[in-house]
Amino acid sequence: MKRNNKKKKSTQSNFAKLSIFQPQKYKFKKKCPLSGKGAPVIDYKNVKLLKKYMTENGKIMPSRITSVSQKKQRELSLSIKRARNLALI
Amino acid sequence: MNLYEHTIIARSDVSPNQIKQLLDKYTKIVEKFDGNIVKTENWGLLYLSYLIKKNKKGNYIHLKIKGSGKTISELEKNEKIDKNLLRFLTVKVKKFDLKTNYFEKKQEEVREKSY
Repeated sequence: MKRNNKKKKSTQSNFAKLSIFQPQKYKFKKKCPLSGKGAPVIDYKNVKLLKKYMTENGKIMPSRITSVSQKKQRELSLSIKRARNLALI
Repeated sequence: MNLYEHTIIARSDVSPNQIKQLLDKYTKIVEKFDGNIVKTENWGLLYLSYLIKKNKKGNYIHLKIKGSGKTISELEKNEKIDKNLLRFLTVKVKKFDLKTNYFEKKQEEVREKSY
């Protein structure tokens, strides 16, 4: 009897994850990769980092895709433009 | 006194001797207008990502300058006339990071590959 009970509980939680009306716990927002402790410093000389946040055609990616914070996105766009001027990107 | 990062792109067909002369010329200008060069980095010949005045490559020189606004304006005035230069960029910074050099590593990698 005990075993059966356990099984039922686990299946219920799995269905809850699948449903569209999820409770708040399962929704998660990605944190900004450039802010917080140990994050890389944005610099126009660091081409490797800047290229991560650009498309293949050299456009700046929108922050809603990369989940970069507003403040850091401004820094990013400025340093990307500087690197473009120096023909590094 | 402010801190500035200054990058120069010289033409690809400029010889290493001429680059030294260029550096000397600009260090003199900086020192004349009571500035001080903290560090110079020579990034070497790098590929430009797009053509500038029909050049595919450029010699990059990076200077870290401590000085007033006047030194920078004098520097840029002289650089605008110079035909050996393609571009320059000055950025005002609050703090120098003298440890990291993003362009030195690449040269080491190239050397390792060639061996």
